[in-house]
Amino acid sequence: MAKIACTHCNLEFDESVMIIEEEGDKEKSNKKLFFCCKGCQGVYHLLNSEGLGTFYDKLGDTKLQPASQISEDLEKFDLEGFRNKYIKVHDDGLYEINLIIEGIHCSACVWLNEKVLHKTDGVIEASINYTNNKAKVVWDPEEVKLSKIIETIRSIGYNAYPYDPSLQEERAVKTRKDYYSRILVAVFGTMNIMWIAIAHYAGYFTGMQQSFKDILNVAEFILATPVLFYSGWVFFRGAYYGFKNRIVNMDTLVASGALSAYIYSIYAMITQRGEVYFDSVVMIITFILVGKYLEVLSKKHAVDTLDSLMGSTPTEVTTLKEGIKSLVSIENIQIGDIIELKPGEKVVIDGTLTSGQGSFDESSLTGENEPLYKQNSDAILSGSICLDSVIHYKASKDVSGSLLTSIVTLLEESITKKPHIEQLANTISGYFSNIILLIALLTLAGWYFWNGSFETALIVAISVIVIACPCALGLATPMATLVGISIAAKRGILFKEATFLETMAKSNLLALDKTGTITEGKPSVVKAELFEGFDPSLLLALVDTSNHPISKGISSYLTEENDPLKHLTLENIKSIEAKGIKASYEGKNLLGGNVDLLKNEGVEIDANSENSLFFFAMDNKLLARFELTDTIREGAKEAIEQIQALGINVVMLTGDHEQSAQKVAKEVGIKEVHAKLLPQDKSALVNEFQSNGEVVVMVGDGINDAIALAQSNIAIAMGQGADVAINVSDVVLLDEKPQSILEAYKISKRTFRAVKENLGFSLLYNVIAVPLAVAGFVNPLIAALSMSLSSLIVVGNSMRIKFLNFKN
Amino acid sequence: MSENIVILMIGVSTFLGALGLIALLWGVKTGQFDDQSKFIDAARYDGEEELRDAVMMENKKKARLKKKEEEKEKNYMPPD
Repeated sequence: MAKIACTHCNLEFDESVMIIEEEGDKEKSNKKLFFCCKGCQGVYHLLNSEGLGTFYDKLGDTKLQPASQISEDLEKFDLEGFRNKYIKVHDDGLYEINLIIEGIHCSACVWLNEKVLHKTDGVIEASINYTNNKAKVVWDPEEVKLSKIIETIRSIGYNAYPYDPSLQEERAVKTRKDYYSRILVAVFGTMNIMWIAIAHYAGYFTGMQQSFKDILNVAEFILATPVLFYSGWVFFRGAYYGFKNRIVNMDTLVASGALSAYIYSIYAMITQRGEVYFDSVVMIITFILVGKYLEVLSKKHAVDTLDSLMGSTPTEVTTLKEGIKSLVSIENIQIGDIIELKPGEKVVIDGTLTSGQGSFDESSLTGENEPLYKQNSDAILSGSICLDSVIHYKASKDVSGSLLTSIVTLLEESITKKPHIEQLANTISGYFSNIILLIALLTLAGWYFWNGSFETALIVAISVIVIACPCALGLATPMATLVGISIAAKRGILFKEATFLETMAKSNLLALDKTGTITEGKPSVVKAELFEGFDPSLLLALVDTSNHPISKGISSYLTEENDPLKHLTLENIKSIEAKGIKASYEGKNLLGGNVDLLKNEGVEIDANSENSLFFFAMDNKLLARFELTDTIREGAKEAIEQIQALGINVVMLTGDHEQSAQKVAKEVGIKEVHAKLLPQDKSALVNEFQSNGEVVVMVGDGINDAIALAQSNIAIAMGQGADVAINVSDVVLLDEKPQSILEAYKISKRTFRAVKENLGFSLLYNVIAVPLAVAGFVNPLIAALSMSLSSLIVVGNSMRIKFLNFKN
Repeated sequence: MSENIVILMIGVSTFLGALGLIALLWGVKTGQFDDQSKFIDAARYDGEEELRDAVMMENKKKARLKKKEEEKEKNYMPPD
């Protein structure tokens, strides 16, 4: 059967399952419209009636998510608690909120959302960032409610949820902007001074009248002043803080070198004797400022760490008091209150089940995807999600004592107390600055003593600082790490901050999570027995009615193994909690599920296996038997072997049972295994490793790994993992291959080698150049030339990282 | 006299350059370089309609201000 693209979302489906509609317009009456679902159809007509049909021209072939229609929980946006948390009130009574818009695939989507928001009455301002899909909306609360705005966004097939533009992110943007302005001024000053300096140098060799020299000097002075005091402000500030804490750092050296050269140049300009050093002043400032900017640029941006975790949790729950249901803010829940939970709702308060039964997804706590079946007096843990039924439970803790809140608190703590590993360049520059300043002082004293002229002595001392001034040293790390980061990014490994490369290169312990990291994290069929009369289309129709991971595993197995299957419509579909699904088709009873279900129905089966089992029966006759297990990712074994060969100790941390943990560990060759760990246990273990002096790299994917990830020196998250895990991580693996972990190690080790080479070179340069300067052989021209040359060598050496070979 | 020429040349060219610098700094300050993708993507959807849209937003803002002021006047009570 032909596949046809949905008119709205462009996803392709069989013609038979689509909603077909004749275009209403008379002119193009022959055109047929196809929709994959009611949602898409609704959005299409809405857009056309609003005159936004041009969206589809802009969209081109991009595929969208089918528009789902979510209408519940809208009222929560107008509640008091929500307003206090996310909404900023302007002085003139306008409200402002920051939203993350879900479902944006291309720039046409951004266009559409902005357009629609602009058309909404009462919205005063709406702008969406093309890069990170975050929106800022300002509206007039007297004219429109927030719930209405969110509803508008939902009505066109997207979803929006609020986030706190955490101060950190705002600050990061501000710093970047600040640096950008300072660099613009510095580059402008440097470039202009350079061409004036060329005239200067020409005059230096061929002779120039003093009157012309004066003009050039004054012009350079005017250009250098804003560069030194505006662009160079960061160095003065750094030097001041260093001075306050009694530390000599790189900033001290830069600030003192640039300032003394500047003051001396003014003196030379006024007395019309000697040469001016304005070009050296601006060059030092510019080069090192660029180096600093490279570091700021690659700093972790947008740390909305906990927003996605807390943002998706309800702020109100339904309570039952004397038979009356009411919405109560979670802060007001007391121990002993009865809470009602509907399917799909997230638990925010711990408790024990009092009536009803159902499956719970606890993957955010244990990392395991298999839902747990709970009945009377079982414990309900916050953070889990109720999957299939309405239940009532009694709160056993208030909100602040509940597991979810304590995870969030622990997470916040771990982030702030993440151990810091001192960077090599910082350590070196401390010593370096001390030594150079000392040498300069000795030079000044020595020349004054032997030569008698204070002026000459001062020039020589300044030339020592200027020539030693560590342009190369300042660029050594940022250049190399920037190249390293960009190579890693090309291979699908995103380092969020440049310094992480160096820390990772120093690590000697790799902790791996099991489910979702070493394994795929979802069950897939490893063994299938099919009996006579088995029809794959029938089973596919049955399993597609369920969201259970086992059903999904069967479904993907069936679509892979068979040619396109027919779509059949089943009747009387009934899902039996934690057991399976029942349905009927043309009068036959279909049954799909686990051992319990089939035994209850009286079907004879072979229940002997160490894997999860799924059976399919029709009219109580067994038609198929599947064994499913969580498979190990491709290449995991080789990658782990090679990482171990690099001299890194590999351990496994998992929330799963000892037995299955050992099985996986054996297969991939990991000797040290820690099983049955709760989220906080994992982090405690990481902490223990660290106190033994290990530098820990942790790889994980779930919310249950988040605390341990935040605690580790370098946290690596899988690209499809939970948002929280990705947010607290330092490195994200987009393609999720275990091989990428190995590549990340290789890149960081190679980059760190380049950093060491760069530092070694710039120290060598100083060992040669500084004695020459002390002896008084350095004139301004040589100083400027040698500085640029040494910086170029550092840049060139860093580029060599690009030749890194990933094959063995 | 030739000194004056040199001063003029340096002065004028630096001044022109400085104008460009100020324009760039203004751009940075008002956040025009914040969104990298917008440079490439938003340009494709720039047209008459978008201009009208922007005017509409401006009008909305003005209308609101006006309303506020009117309200203020209405509620104004002279001190006794």
